[in-house]
Amino acid sequence: MNAMNDSLHQSVTKKALLVLWTNKITRCCLVTLLGYAAVSLLCKMGWLVPNWNAEVGASHEAPNWVNWFGTDILGRSVFAKVIHGTEVAMSVGFVVAFLSILIGVLLGVLAGYFGGIVDECVVWLYTVIAAVPTMILLMVIAFMLGKGMKSIYVALIVAEWTETCRLVRSEVMRHKTRDYVQAAAAIGANNFRKLFVHILPNVMPLIVFQFSLVFQTSIKYEVILSYLGLGVQNKPSWGIMISDAKTELLRGVWWELFFATMAMFLLVLVFNILADALRDALDPKLKGR
Amino acid sequence: MEEKILEVQNLVAQFFMGKGMVRAVNDVSFDLFRGRSLGIVGESGSGKSAMALSLMRLITPPVGVVSGQGIFLEGKDVLSLSSKEMERIRGNRISMIFQEPMTSLNPIFTIGEQIQETIQLHQQVSTKEAKERCLDLLELVGIPAPQQRLKEYPHQISGGMRQRVMIAIALACGPSVLIADEPTTALDVTTQAQIMDLIQKLQAETQMGILLITHDLGVVAEVCDEVAVMYCGKIIEKSSVEAIFAAPQHPYTKALLDAIPPLMGGRVDHTRRLQAIEGVVPPLSNLPIGCNFYDRCPKATAACSGSEPSLEEIRPGHFVACFHPLQVQDAPKP
Repeated sequence: MNAMNDSLHQSVTKKALLVLWTNKITRCCLVTLLGYAAVSLLCKMGWLVPNWNAEVGASHEAPNWVNWFGTDILGRSVFAKVIHGTEVAMSVGFVVAFLSILIGVLLGVLAGYFGGIVDECVVWLYTVIAAVPTMILLMVIAFMLGKGMKSIYVALIVAEWTETCRLVRSEVMRHKTRDYVQAAAAIGANNFRKLFVHILPNVMPLIVFQFSLVFQTSIKYEVILSYLGLGVQNKPSWGIMISDAKTELLRGVWWELFFATMAMFLLVLVFNILADALRDALDPKLKGR
Repeated sequence: MEEKILEVQNLVAQFFMGKGMVRAVNDVSFDLFRGRSLGIVGESGSGKSAMALSLMRLITPPVGVVSGQGIFLEGKDVLSLSSKEMERIRGNRISMIFQEPMTSLNPIFTIGEQIQETIQLHQQVSTKEAKERCLDLLELVGIPAPQQRLKEYPHQISGGMRQRVMIAIALACGPSVLIADEPTTALDVTTQAQIMDLIQKLQAETQMGILLITHDLGVVAEVCDEVAVMYCGKIIEKSSVEAIFAAPQHPYTKALLDAIPPLMGGRVDHTRRLQAIEGVVPPLSNLPIGCNFYDRCPKATAACSGSEPSLEEIRPGHFVACFHPLQVQDAPKP
C-alpha cells in the first residue's frame, strides 16, 4: 500500500521511466535501443570494427562461423557494414528528429499562440513546403547540396518539420483558450510563462510521439536516398546495402538485404513501441493503471 | 469611515466582433470597501463575467479593449499601469476564482506545484518556505491531509476540493480584493454552501473586499452587503441587500426576484406558476434606443423608448436607473 502511494507521488518523468522499466516488453525495447546507441557511439569512436573496408574472405560468402553475416561482392564482412550502417542511421535519426522537432515546435508554438501575421507567415511557409511531394523535395535539395551526410540532414529537416509544426500549432490554439491558461493569467503569469510553463508541457506527449515518428521516417528516407545514390558516400549504409542487393538477389545472395533490413526493422519497431509506451506514461491521467 | 479598496469609475469593456465593436460592459461605476462584499447579479450575457475580467485587465487586443475613467485599486489606477506592472498586481493584490474548477487547474501539474507557482511569482521565497505556505493555505481552505493532497493531480480530487484549491491559489499572496466569478455554479448544492461559508470565513479573517458575481440571488442574500443588478452591460440598480430584497425599485430587479421558486412548507398553494420574464435580452450589438429593458418592461411608457434613464439616487444608498421606479408599497407581499 505504502509503496503504491509512493509511486503515485513521484515526478512525471521519473514515473514514466519507471513504467518503461517495469514493463517487460518496453524494458527489452529500452535495452535494444541502448544497444543501438552504444554500437553507433563505439563505431564513431573507432573502437568497434574499425576497418569495415578490409577483405575478410571470398566474394559472396554465405553466413558462416567466421563471417556471421556473410560477405559482399568485394569480400568485405556484411556484419561490419551493418554495424557501420547503424552509426549512419542513428545519427541521421537523432540529428534530423531533434532539429526538425525543435524548428517545428518553435514555429508552431509561436504561430498558435500569437496568431495574426505570425500565424499567417508560418502557415504559408509550411503549406508551401508540404505542397511539394516529400520524395521530390528531398531529391531536389540533395542534388542542390551535393552528396553526403550534410545534405541528407538538411533535406530531411526541411521536409520533416512541417508536420510537427502543423500539429503543435493546432494543439496550442486549442489549449490557449482553456480556462487554466486564463487562470494562469489571473495569477500574474506573462506570455512567456503561459506559453512555455503552462501550455507546452500539455503538448509534450504529442511532441514525444512526433519525435519518434520523425526519427523512424528519417531513417527510412535515408535508406531510400542512399538507395537512389543520393545519400552517404564512402560509408556503408543500410540503404546502399539494400541497393546493392537488388542485383545480388538474382544470384541467391540474400544475406546483405536480409541483415540490413532486419537491422532497420528492429530499430524502427523498438522505437515505435517505446514512443507509444512513453506517451501513455507521460499522461498523468493514466497514472496508476 | 470605511476604507475604499476598489473604486471603479465609468468602466467600459468592448469586444471586437467582426467589423464592429460590442460593448459588453457599459459605463459601470461602483465602490468596494475593505471587509465588505458586493454582489453582482444578472442574467447570462449581462456582462458580469466581462466586467470581472476587465477589472483584472484580462481583456486585451485582439479580443477586446477596456477603458474608463479609472479602476482605483488601493488608490492606484490599474488602467494606467504597464502590462509588466499589471502582472505584478494580478494574483497578488487582486485575484480571481473562476466558475469552472474542473478546467481552471492545469491538468499536468500537482496542486502543490500550482499553489507554489503563485507564491513564487510574487514573493522572493525559497522553495521550502513556499511549500510550507502551501500546506498552511491548504489547511486554511479546509482540505484534509494537505501533505498528501499537495502531491495529487487535479483529476484525482473532487470538484469541491478543486474549488478550494482555486481559493487557496487566489489567497496565496493575501490580496485585498477577491473576485469570485460564479464560484459555486459548477458545484452541487451541499458543496456550494460549504464553499460560500469558507469564503465568508476567510473574508472575516483577512478583511479583503469580495466581488461576488452570481446569478443565484439566494447566495447574494446570504453573503453580500451590497448588490448591483446588471442588465445589458449596465448597472440598473444598486443598494444594500436588505433594501433590494425588501423593496426592489427597478422592474427588472422585481422580475428577477419573482423568478425565484418560493420555498414553503406545504401550507401555501403549490400550483402558482413561476413568474418568468417575458422576452429575451436584446443582442448587445443591436441595443434599442432608450431603456434597454423597454421591450420587456410591464411599466414601460413612451418616455422609456425615447431616452435612456441614468442611475439616480432615489433614497440614501439606493440607486436605480428607471423613469418609473416601483414604490415601496409595490413590494412583494410575504
